[in-house]
Amino acid sequence: MRLGDTVVFTWRALSRHGLRTALSLVGVAIGVSAVILLTALGEGARRFVIDEFASIGSDLLIVVPGKVETTGGMPGVGGTPNDLTLADAEALERRIGSVRRVAPVAVGTETVSHGARSRDVALVGSTATFAEVRRLTVGDGRFLPPGEARRGGAVAVLGRQVADELFPGESPLGEVVRIGAWRFRVIGVLEPTGTQIGVDFDEVVVVPVATAMRMLNRTSLFRILVAVTPGADLERVKERVVEVITTRHDEEDITVLTQDSVVGALTGILAALNLAVAAIAGISLGVAGLGILNVMLVSVAERTGEIGLLKALGAGRRQILAVFLVEATVLSAAGGLVGLAIGYGLAFVVARLVPALPTAPPLWAVTAALSLAISVGALFGLLPARRAARMEPVDALRKGS
Amino acid sequence: MSGLGAFVARALVAHRLRSGLSALGIAVGVGSVVLLTSIGEGTRRYIFDQFNQFGTNIVSINPGKSETVGMPGILGGTTHKLTIDDALVLQRLEGVTGIVPLAFGTARVEARERGRSVYVYGVTPNAPALWNLRVRQGSFWPAGDPRRGRATAVLGPTLKRELFGAEDALGERIRIGGRRFRVIGVMEPRGSFLGLDIDDTVYIPTATAMDLLNRSELDEIHVAHRPGTDQQRLVERVTVLLTERHRGNEDFTVTSQEAMLDVFGNVMNTITAAVGAIAGISLFVGMIGILTTMWIAVGERTHEIGLLRALGAGRAQVRRIFLLEAATLALAGGAAGLLGGLALAAVLRLAVPGLPIETPLPFAVAALVVSAATGLLAGVLPAQRAAGLDPVEALRAE
Amino acid sequence: MIRLRGICRTYDLGGRPVHALADVDEDIAAGEHVAIMGPSGSGKSTLLNVLGCLDRPTAGSYQLEDRDVADLSEKALDTVRRHRIGFVFQSFHLVGRLSAVENVELPMVFAEVPRRERRERALAALDAVGLNERGDHRPDQLSGGERQRVALARATVMDPAILLADEPTGNLDTASGRQVLDMLDRLNDDGLTLLVVTHDPNVARRADRLLVLVDGRIARRMPAAEIHSLDELFAVGDAGSSTDNGDEDGEGS
Repeated sequence: MRLGDTVVFTWRALSRHGLRTALSLVGVAIGVSAVILLTALGEGARRFVIDEFASIGSDLLIVVPGKVETTGGMPGVGGTPNDLTLADAEALERRIGSVRRVAPVAVGTETVSHGARSRDVALVGSTATFAEVRRLTVGDGRFLPPGEARRGGAVAVLGRQVADELFPGESPLGEVVRIGAWRFRVIGVLEPTGTQIGVDFDEVVVVPVATAMRMLNRTSLFRILVAVTPGADLERVKERVVEVITTRHDEEDITVLTQDSVVGALTGILAALNLAVAAIAGISLGVAGLGILNVMLVSVAERTGEIGLLKALGAGRRQILAVFLVEATVLSAAGGLVGLAIGYGLAFVVARLVPALPTAPPLWAVTAALSLAISVGALFGLLPARRAARMEPVDALRKGS
Repeated sequence: MSGLGAFVARALVAHRLRSGLSALGIAVGVGSVVLLTSIGEGTRRYIFDQFNQFGTNIVSINPGKSETVGMPGILGGTTHKLTIDDALVLQRLEGVTGIVPLAFGTARVEARERGRSVYVYGVTPNAPALWNLRVRQGSFWPAGDPRRGRATAVLGPTLKRELFGAEDALGERIRIGGRRFRVIGVMEPRGSFLGLDIDDTVYIPTATAMDLLNRSELDEIHVAHRPGTDQQRLVERVTVLLTERHRGNEDFTVTSQEAMLDVFGNVMNTITAAVGAIAGISLFVGMIGILTTMWIAVGERTHEIGLLRALGAGRAQVRRIFLLEAATLALAGGAAGLLGGLALAAVLRLAVPGLPIETPLPFAVAALVVSAATGLLAGVLPAQRAAGLDPVEALRAE
Repeated sequence: MIRLRGICRTYDLGGRPVHALADVDEDIAAGEHVAIMGPSGSGKSTLLNVLGCLDRPTAGSYQLEDRDVADLSEKALDTVRRHRIGFVFQSFHLVGRLSAVENVELPMVFAEVPRRERRERALAALDAVGLNERGDHRPDQLSGGERQRVALARATVMDPAILLADEPTGNLDTASGRQVLDMLDRLNDDGLTLLVVTHDPNVARRADRLLVLVDGRIARRMPAAEIHSLDELFAVGDAGSSTDNGDEDGEGS
C-alpha cells in the first residue's frame, strides 16, 4: 500500500464518523491553540520589556550607588558609605576616552506650584546632557543650558502634563514657578514622551543637578548616566567606570547596569515563565492523546471485519499497522493545524485589542506544539495499530461479519 | 435508582480500557490543577509565615509617597525628612508598644585581617523583642535616647562565624565602614527571610548608622502595637500625625503588615487561579474525551437502548443512564487525579523541604465537584442522543 | 382488549413512501392466542411494533384496553410498555454483560420496583421457566433455548396483559423450540393475551386463530386449526411481487 493510498483510505474511515473525528481533533486543537496563544502573550510581554528598555539606548551605562552582593538585594535600596558625587561624574567624563556624554541625576519628590495651582512631581536634577542621553526632545523653549554642573541655577524645564496643569491654555515660558520653597523660571517644556521604565516624563520637572541636590538636601547622586561613543566596547568601558570609581572611593561600592544586563535578567525570567506556562498548557495535549487512543481503539474494534478482509486480501502486518498509525497521526496533525490557526487568530485578536502588547507566537512554541501534537497521535496510535496488526485474519473475518 | 447505578457500573466495566482512558484524561486534568494550585497555596502560606515570623503587629513607614512616583525608595526623597524625632512622636500614640527607627545599607566590616561586605542595620535595642529575634551571647546596648550614637555592635551569627570562626567575639574590636566599634553581643541564628541570609548582618545604633551611611533621614520606621489593635485606624492616626509634623505634606508611605499581606495574598491568589485555569484546559480536553467516548457508546449500544425502551424504559431513564455513566467516569477520574495530585505534592514536599505545599480541603472537595460536573456536562449531548433514539429504529440496529 | 381501525404505517424511504401497514382493522379479545404469518416484508414486525407501543401508526386508531393510544403521552406509553406489554424476540436480545437474573430484573429497574422485591420476583420468574439454578450465568454461558427462556422470564416478570413474540423459535432447535412454545401456551392458558409472529405453520397451529398479512394488509383470517401449508396460505393476492413494502427483515441477521 502506498502512502497516498493509505491517506485516502484513512480519509474514508475518518469522514464516516464525522462527529467522533471532529471531537478527537478538537482536543488536540485546544491544546495546540492554548500553547500558541499563551506563548504569544508571553512573547508579547518579553518584547514589551525589550521595547521599554530599548529606550535606554544600547550605548548607555547606568552607574548606581551600592554594590550588588551575592546575597541579593536591590541596588539603590539602602546606601553606601561613599557618596556618588558630581566629582565622580566629572572624573568619568575626563578619564575615560570612549565616554561621549555623562549625565548625573538626582531625584526626589517635590510640590510645584504656580499661583493657586500646585501638584506633586518627580523632581529630576541633571545637566544639559540629560536630554540627549535620555532622548528627550524639548517642545517649547529650550533645555537646561550647558555649563558647569556644580553651579546650578534657578531655571526649570516642565514635563508636558505639568505645564498643562499649571498653565492651562497659556505658555509657561518665562513664567516663575515655586518648587518647594524655591523659585524657578520656566525655560522649556518637554515634548510628550510617556512612560520610560516606570518614569512618566510628562510628569517631571527638570532642574540643574546642583540646585536639586541642595533642595533635596542630598550629598549623593541617584545615578550617573554614561553615554558611550558609538562602536566602543561596552564591557571595556564598564570595567573602566568601575575602576575609576573604585580608585576614587577606595572600594568597589557601585553597580554598573547596561541595557543588556537589565533586559537579559528580565527576559530570562519571562522566558522561564513562558516555558512553564507552555508546559502546563501542553499537558492538555497529552490528555488529547488519550482521547485519540480511545477513538482509535474503538475504530480498530469496529473494523475487525474490515481488518480480516484486508488481511484476506493480502495486506501484511506492517500495512495494517501503517493504516491505523497514519489514521491516528492524520487525526492529531489535523487537530494541530486547526489549533495553529485558532491560536494565531486569538493572538491576532489580542494584538488588535491591546496594541501595547506586541503578541507574536514564538517559533519554538509553534514548532514544539505542532510536533508534540503529531507525535502524540503517532505514539497513542501505536497501541491500537499493533492490536489491529496482530489480529488473526480468520478470527477477524468471523467476528466482524 | 440503585438499579440504574448497577446497570451503569456494569456498562463501564464492560469497556474497562476505554473507560479507564477517558477517566485518565480527567485525572490528568484534575491532578495538574490540584498540584499547581497546591504549590501556589503553599507558596502563599510560606511567604505569609516568612513575614509573620517577625511579628504580625507591625506598621512600617517609609519616606516618599508611593502613589505619585511609584515605589518608595526607588525615587526616594522627601520635602521633610523622616527623622528619629518623627519616630519618637509615634511612640506616644495609643496602643503603640514600641518603635524602631531604621537606617540600613551595605558596609564593609573588618576584624583583625578578615573583612566582609554586609548589610548594616541601625536599630534601637528594643528591635529584637519586636522582631522575635533572640540574642545568644552578650546583649544589645542599654536603651536611651536613640538620637545619640555609640560605637557598639551586635553581630549576626553568620557574620560572627565569618569574622571570628569559633572564637569568642564579645569585647572584640571591629571596623565598620572604616570606623571602630566594639562587639557587645551575638544573635541567635534565625535562618533566611525570602532567601536572604538575615544572620549575615550587624546591628548598630540608629544614629550611628545614619552617620556612618551618610543618611540625613531614616529608611524606615517600624511601629509595633498591642495585639488586637485596629491596624487600619493606627495607619490613619500615624498618617495624620506625621502629615501634621511635615507641614501638611503626606510625603511618606504607611504600610500595615495586614494590608501588605492582603495585597500580596490577592496577587498570589490571582496567579494561582491563572495557573490553575491554564491547567484546567487539560480538564476541558478531558471532558471532550468523555464526550467522545459516550458518543461512541451510544452509537454502539443503539440496539441495547431500543431493547431498554421495549422493556419499558422511558426517555428520561435512558437519558439518566448515560448522564450517570459520564458523571461516574469523570468522578472516578477526578478522584484518581486528586490522589495523584496529592501524591505528587507529597513527593515535591519531600524534594523541596522549604516549600510547605498544602492542598486545602476545599480544593480537594472542589476538584471532585468540578469533575462530576464536567462529566455531567460531557454527558448531555450523548444522553440527549440516546434518549432521542426511536425505539423501533434502535431495535433494528445491529 | 385490542381494537385496530384503519391502521396505516408509512415510511419514507429516500423520498418514496413505503406502506408497511395499509388500512388494518382487527379486534383481539383478552386471553386470545393469535398467530400472525406472512411473507418477508409483509408488515408483520411493523404490526407488532405498533401493538407494542414502540411505534405509532401514521393513520387510524389503536385502542388498547379501552384507551386510544394516540391520546397517550410518551410517558404514559412508557408506563404501558412497562406494565402491560411483554416482548420476546427471535434473537433473544439479552444484555450480554448482565447475568440472567439481572436481565430479568431490568424491566423492574425501570418500573422502580424496590431492590429486594426485584431479586425475589426475578428468581421466581426464572424458576417458572425452569432456570432457577442458572440465574448468575451470563447469556454467553447459556444455550439458545435457555436464553430464550430468560427472555421469556423477563417479558413476563412484570405480569403483563399482552405478550408479543416475534419469531420466538426462529433461532432455536426443535426441542428447545417446543419447550418455549409449551411455556407460551401455559401462559396463555393462565389468561395472558398472546400474539406470535412466525414463519412456521407448526407454531401458528398452536394459536386460536391466524392472521395472514400480505403487503401490509390482512389478507386472510382463519382458525389456526385449518392451516395446512405455507404455499396455500400465501397464495392470496399477489404475494410474489411485494415491491412497495418496507424491508422488514430486521431480526434475521
